[in-house]
Amino acid sequence: MKFPSLADIQAALNQADLSGLPPLNISVLRNITMEPLEPYLRYLALELGLAAEIKLGGFDTVYQDAVGNPTDLLGPDTDCVLVFLRLEGLSPDLARNFACLDADGLAAEEARIAEHIKAVVEGIRSQSGAMILWHGFEPPVNPALGIYDGQTELGQSAVIARLNDTLRRIMADTPNAYLVDMATCLLRLGAEGFYDQRLWHIGRIPYTRQALQVIAREEFKFIRPLLGRNKKCLVLDCDNTLWGGIIGEDGISGIALGQSHPGSAFRELQQEVVNLFHRGVIIALCSKNNPEDVWEVFDHHPDMVLRREHVAAFRINWQDKAANLRELAQELNIGLDSMVLVDDSEFEVGAVRRLAPQVEVIHLPVPDAVNHRDTLAGCGLFDTLTLSQEDRRRGRMYKAQVQRSSLKTRFQDMADYLDSLAMTAEVRLADPVAIPRLAQQTQKTNQFNLTTRRYSEADIQELAQAPDSDVIYLRLGDRFGDSGIVGTCILRYDQDRAVIDTLLMSCRALGRGCEDLLLHQALTLARQKGCSLAVGQYYATAKNAQVADFFARREFVEQPDTTTGADREFHLDLGREIPRPVVHFKSIASEIGWPKP
Amino acid sequence: MEQRVFEIVAQMASVDPTDINRDSSMDNVETWDSLVAINLVLALEEEFGVRFTDEQINQLSSVRAIMEALQELVGQA
Repeated sequence: MKFPSLADIQAALNQADLSGLPPLNISVLRNITMEPLEPYLRYLALELGLAAEIKLGGFDTVYQDAVGNPTDLLGPDTDCVLVFLRLEGLSPDLARNFACLDADGLAAEEARIAEHIKAVVEGIRSQSGAMILWHGFEPPVNPALGIYDGQTELGQSAVIARLNDTLRRIMADTPNAYLVDMATCLLRLGAEGFYDQRLWHIGRIPYTRQALQVIAREEFKFIRPLLGRNKKCLVLDCDNTLWGGIIGEDGISGIALGQSHPGSAFRELQQEVVNLFHRGVIIALCSKNNPEDVWEVFDHHPDMVLRREHVAAFRINWQDKAANLRELAQELNIGLDSMVLVDDSEFEVGAVRRLAPQVEVIHLPVPDAVNHRDTLAGCGLFDTLTLSQEDRRRGRMYKAQVQRSSLKTRFQDMADYLDSLAMTAEVRLADPVAIPRLAQQTQKTNQFNLTTRRYSEADIQELAQAPDSDVIYLRLGDRFGDSGIVGTCILRYDQDRAVIDTLLMSCRALGRGCEDLLLHQALTLARQKGCSLAVGQYYATAKNAQVADFFARREFVEQPDTTTGADREFHLDLGREIPRPVVHFKSIASEIGWPKP
Repeated sequence: MEQRVFEIVAQMASVDPTDINRDSSMDNVETWDSLVAINLVLALEEEFGVRFTDEQINQLSSVRAIMEALQELVGQA
């Protein structure tokens, strides 16, 4: 772990202009000297754009501060209460004279400590709803009973582990209260890096500067999600990040990814990425590659742990990464400040830090690949205060949402495209000039044809003239020219029912809104004729499966029994106005009438 | 080394580096209190890669003492 030095931190703090920054009010209750923690807290707050206001309670006055007369230590403005109740002060017997205690003495001491902790937590809660970060007890480096200690429930290690269990339960039962696992902090540095016995004896400061920094950073892993500042999306580079080498040059068999060194380091990084996915982190790719090269690795490399199904969104192209990150943020509907980019390239890291500074960047240089898994696992940027079932599914949910919205994007693109065509439509009742073409359409159209009834010119002529039927057609034009008659619809009126005898559309006109316009016009006409019910029919053929659900998709209700002999029959109530379909014609000329928007 | 010591003392005591000289101490730099003294130990150890003994820490209350202790430790190395 490489952290800035205390001198650098102090210099940064001295230079910082804190005016105007929102405050982060931290109160510290402690039975040890924790003043040296302050610069680290201030520095980490500054990284989040906050001005830490730190109030320290008296030395070893935790109980008085929490339970006694209210001081200005805790109040409605307090954001976070750090509690350091170290065993050395709380129970010198357990900490230092352990071997002198018998079983009854141990039990009594454990019970006393549990009661004390509860009283302090309740006392804090009576004064403030602030987040409580209670620092757990540290396991003994040299357990009191030597090697036997680990063999017995009555050993010092077991007793301290039980006290931590008690703490965990009390915090779980207290809203907005959490246990900071000091054993984990100790583990990261080892006892030698964690404790400073000189400072302990001189000033009751147990911890080294490295330990103080590790502890402060651990606390901020809680403060980030408290403020809603935890990250939601991990954006991964591919070459030399997900695998060693460059896929475009080394090929799928040449990249480093596998069970043995050096590929195993990249495989382990991927395992951690998938862990994050299952913790609800959205996974995205942002790399400069040919997309087919990247997907070849995803689809065919046997040691890929990360799979396509984990990836919610991607930008694999040669565009600059800051622009790609902006697009990804938009596509995923999250802020740039919710994203973390992981990349091996110093150039890309630098460019993104400059051009998209809201994005957090983790630089994973290749020579250090063996440590990358730990760097990602320990960054804490994605940590959450709870982990719900929904969190566990979020990665998947985002992927589904992106699929829907990219559909929307395609729709939007399509709408723009249709608008650009400047389409014109003409809807008319069959006239002598059109009749040959209408008859021909009924005879030749197979795919977009609901009933596939074949009519001669004479048939159409008759249908057009009879009082109990109508034939309408649609003529389409666009900037490229006139497409002619592309759709025909025949209505037969049976008392108050309008049966859609024929509805067909030329293939070249599909997907341009003509079918919806024609249906709308037919239904409008049926209403004008005084019908109260439209009856849609579907006769299945070998070629017209694409329209099997045409009516069902347009608010018609399928009938359990057909009254007309059709394979499927659909009804639509004509009692109300027929809604105007969303279409993209530049102009519509209609004999039947087209409502103004 | 001396100049860097001046800078670190100034940073930890939150004063201007030009306000620190060989004669500066906890007695004449108002902000140099016991807490600053501890942070100063941490910062100096980090900066110069040394480790003061507990006896030395107790005496690091002036620039002069710091320089002496550092020279002792660096000289040993």
